[in-house]
Amino acid sequence: MRQGVRVLGPLLALGLVVTACGSSGDEPSTAASSTSAATSDSGSEPTAAAGAEITIALGSEPTSLDPHIVDDGGERAINDNIYETLLFRTPDGVLEPGLATDLPTQVDPTTWEFKLREGVTFHDGSPFNADSVVATVERMVRLVADGKTDNDGFFGSLTGAEKVDDTTVRIMTAAEDGVLPARMYWLKQIPASAKDSEDLSDAPVGTGPYKFGSRNVGVDVTLEANADYWGGAPSIAKVTYEFSDDSATRLAGLKSGKYDLITNLGPQDVQAAPKFAAVAGQEHPILILDADEGITSDVNVRKALNLAVDKEAIAKNIFGGYAVVDAGQLLSPSIVGYNDQLSAYPYDPAQAKQLIEDAGVAGQTIQLVGESGRWLKDKELLEAVAGYWTEAGLDVKLEILEFGAYLDVLFDRENRADAIYVSSSNDILDADRQLSTYYQAGGIGSSNSNQDLSALIDTGRTELDSAARAKTYAEAVKIAYDEAYFVWTVNNEDLYGLSERMQWTPRVDAKLLVKEMTVTG
Amino acid sequence: MSELETHPSPAPDEYTARTHDEEAATHAEEALEGRPFEMRAATKGLFGELLSDKTGLFASVFLIAVVLVAIFAPLVAPYGPTEGNLSSSNISPFWKSDGTWSHVLGTDQQGYDMLSRLIYGLRTSLLIGFAVVAVAGTFGVLMGLLSGYKGGRTDRILMGWVDVQVAFPGLLLALIMIAILGGSVRTVILVLSFNGWMVYARMTRGVVLSLKERPFVEAAEVIGCKPRRVVLTHILPNLVSSLSTLAVLEFARILLAEATLSFLGLGIQYPEVSLGLVANNGRDYLFSAPRFIIIPGIVLSLLVLNVNFVASWLRVLFDPQEREKRFAANATSSTTPGATT
Amino acid sequence: MGRYLAGRLLQGLAVIFGVTVVVFVITRLVGDPVDFILPLSASTEQRARLRTDLGFDRSIASQFWSFLGDAVHLDFGNSTFYRNQGTLSVVWAFLPKTLELVAAGMLLAFIVSIALGTLAALKPGKITDKILVVLSLGGLATPQFFLCQVLLLYTSVEFNLVQFGPGPWTHLIMPSIALALPAIGRLSMVVRSAMIDELNTQYVKAARAKGIARWRIVFIHALRNAAIPFVTLFGWELIRALAGVTVVVENVFNWPGLGNLAITAIKERDFFLIQTIVLVVAVMVVVINIAIDFIYRFVDPRVKLS
Repeated sequence: MRQGVRVLGPLLALGLVVTACGSSGDEPSTAASSTSAATSDSGSEPTAAAGAEITIALGSEPTSLDPHIVDDGGERAINDNIYETLLFRTPDGVLEPGLATDLPTQVDPTTWEFKLREGVTFHDGSPFNADSVVATVERMVRLVADGKTDNDGFFGSLTGAEKVDDTTVRIMTAAEDGVLPARMYWLKQIPASAKDSEDLSDAPVGTGPYKFGSRNVGVDVTLEANADYWGGAPSIAKVTYEFSDDSATRLAGLKSGKYDLITNLGPQDVQAAPKFAAVAGQEHPILILDADEGITSDVNVRKALNLAVDKEAIAKNIFGGYAVVDAGQLLSPSIVGYNDQLSAYPYDPAQAKQLIEDAGVAGQTIQLVGESGRWLKDKELLEAVAGYWTEAGLDVKLEILEFGAYLDVLFDRENRADAIYVSSSNDILDADRQLSTYYQAGGIGSSNSNQDLSALIDTGRTELDSAARAKTYAEAVKIAYDEAYFVWTVNNEDLYGLSERMQWTPRVDAKLLVKEMTVTG
Repeated sequence: MSELETHPSPAPDEYTARTHDEEAATHAEEALEGRPFEMRAATKGLFGELLSDKTGLFASVFLIAVVLVAIFAPLVAPYGPTEGNLSSSNISPFWKSDGTWSHVLGTDQQGYDMLSRLIYGLRTSLLIGFAVVAVAGTFGVLMGLLSGYKGGRTDRILMGWVDVQVAFPGLLLALIMIAILGGSVRTVILVLSFNGWMVYARMTRGVVLSLKERPFVEAAEVIGCKPRRVVLTHILPNLVSSLSTLAVLEFARILLAEATLSFLGLGIQYPEVSLGLVANNGRDYLFSAPRFIIIPGIVLSLLVLNVNFVASWLRVLFDPQEREKRFAANATSSTTPGATT
Repeated sequence: MGRYLAGRLLQGLAVIFGVTVVVFVITRLVGDPVDFILPLSASTEQRARLRTDLGFDRSIASQFWSFLGDAVHLDFGNSTFYRNQGTLSVVWAFLPKTLELVAAGMLLAFIVSIALGTLAALKPGKITDKILVVLSLGGLATPQFFLCQVLLLYTSVEFNLVQFGPGPWTHLIMPSIALALPAIGRLSMVVRSAMIDELNTQYVKAARAKGIARWRIVFIHALRNAAIPFVTLFGWELIRALAGVTVVVENVFNWPGLGNLAITAIKERDFFLIQTIVLVVAVMVVVINIAIDFIYRFVDPRVKLS
């Protein structure tokens, strides 16, 4: 979640909407079953042009093309087409077999066995087999141990892998790890020969539908179709990626026909884009409240801060309707652990004011720290919240810092700011990621020291039974809700701008898989 | 333009002999100090020719009005700069069919009143302009006086420093410094002053050197006036005319520099507001609501334009030669290029 | 001449050293890039380890000393944003794009301003003269970012005249116009006034009396003399473009040059990269300064290199 305007996160089975330009545009996401969506303005089925070349504008440039070292949205957008993983997800987020032929089976609590697809080769001709999977896992284990990867949060629990036979491999974890299948949806498979490489950035070699073409740092990256792809050659022959962190510039490129797809289309620009597509994302902007010290240590004040904010207005006016109100838990409905008993704190400015007065903190200063430009509409949201809290009777000191200074505040364990803005994303679609980062005492974005909550989150992580995990997490989420450790705002949708000729349905996991795209003649 | 153009010749020391030749080639500051022939030509504009004094007068009236509005912003502005919330966002300006008179220029995406933001933004931008001119001007003039009056080693060291700093990539350095120090009115003033004092030092030094050779200064020294008295009573007054023109031009340059920094997101930050920040906030809305950028852009352009008019008017006002020249066939007054840092 | 050049080079070195020290110190005043490199979830120990690896736990003086030691071998450290890449090679990748833009913009400014300025001088008060006034007033007062945005909005997109960003040479058109317009305003004024001065001098009058063709006078004599102030200001515009304006133009037009790189480096706190960018820009500024000095002396024989 470090790089880029924001890194999109996935969300299971929430509805997605693809709207052609000219339709009303502000219709909320329909909770239809997700895979079918209207993509074109014409009724007739458009014919796909084979051998087409497209250009995609990303919000940020990859800092490296090594799939194991960085955790960066630009890198993922490109490498998701070059590399593949043992497990895939359907467009609406359900785990399915990928390079493995089936979901893993457990040999013992810390060992998982995968059956591998046969006849798959890497772009350099070397085979994909148990040896390459072992090499992949061992490289990641080494990178984590050496502190050379940003992905230790995803793969820190791995200890190694062993080959059973050519198409069977076992992956071991340090402790019981219910998240392992999701992790194998995240770990990109490299050839056996790359095992000891320090940096694969110069020549990415995967099994995916696209081969690495060229990379001009600062300018573009190109990929070419892999005619020998095991899933069949893709329809688009060549992809060029360009990068721009300015949403108006990306839109200008889309309108002028230079780009076929742009990420992070601003909600204000959906009418201006030739076509656009929206999908319920995994992004949850929140405000972390310091539950231990200062003005926010009073639970009633924290509740008042929730009641004071008009979440509906944020969804409607800041996100242009492309957002739904967060049901007070940071998790999306389809994630294991979502507590359907909870609903968002209502907008009740009068009660908020009352609670603030009763707590005896009216007129006192509350510090609100955030940044600008990293996540969609971050500054707008912060200013709006500051306005609402001011109305509730507090003296809001909003500090919009440079990202570096902001991170210093976020990571400062000794002096927690009263309220810190962050936009939480859940890349691997597992509750543990968000709960251990923001909910658990000592987590990097956590501002509470609730030991019961912490213990529940630990229990959930090592729980292998899905139903039991769900129960544990639902309980944890409820505690945080009652304690109002955060101000939950909305869950905003991922918006993409498309050129007229582009046919594509966005995925809930925000992957930009070019093999799923087609262009019309 | 007498002070500006009478450069000491023959040069009183080796440093001047060197810089006399070389500086001219590169820097705009030269316009106010360098070799007479080239620099006059280099900076001579059409303005003098084309402006009647009426334009200067009109520009001055405009600026005075703007300054008054800025000073009394809380009384003049219909709303606070960050007053309003999402329920009043994106209201159209009055000329649109769905516009209202309660928000003459409409509201922005946050629901803030555009007119009020412009007024408060003007206030901050002008404040920064005045402050930077004051800080950089004072420091620069002091350094220039010291350098010119003391001469010798002091002069060499100070002017060496000036030369080095003049060759710095100014905007880049300013961006880096603000990113590190954090954007606020205070840091912007500090950073722009740091990058902008050299021009005053050079000009002051040039004037001092030329005056030192003049009989009245020599006489004052001969009769035993203390250096400080010489500087205060004989040299400073002679600086006023050229300094005031320079200060006004620098003021315009600072306005643009601040706006550029804020536009790039590395200047003024919420809840402060400046013209550049208003434009920056509108960046994402270039296609959906271009007025968010165009209105502050026009206000800023008008402001800078009028400051430049006043500068050329001032120059003529202070300079009898220039006034005479106005009647000559090819008389012009001059303006330095309004530059970003 | 040799002594003069040596002095200039020495001064140039002082500039480069000065810039290096200033940037080095201010980038290390507050914080370090470790938080940028590692993801939000990284542990405190991980951060500390990387801090040690990159040397950010040492004193500024000691860091500067090792920086100098490496710099002697043209090793300016690795970029922390572009992972595992030498900053010099990153800058090298972006530099040509900026040079391309500046070259195109300044070439445009050069041609247009001489043409406009000459025409205006020949017929003061006529249409070219008026165009010139509008251009120069506009150039003087319009913030570059505003100009860029208006160009982006009304030409690139509304009328789809030209595209921008990386790509074929046509993508250069809009950014170079944005870069050139303000410079054209200022430069053509200089050409104009210098030409008027020249056309009124005795020798031009004498030349005309001798029956030398008007175009010959304009192009051979007057223009050559107008070159002196022109070169002065042109050099200044060039430096201004390289060291500042391109930041804005590249940022708005998404031009993958040094200016955009600088913004990225600053926002990502990529200290080594910032350092190298500023160093390279400073070297260019110094070199241009010296070059212009020599051109200056070449076009104006009255000036001797002492």
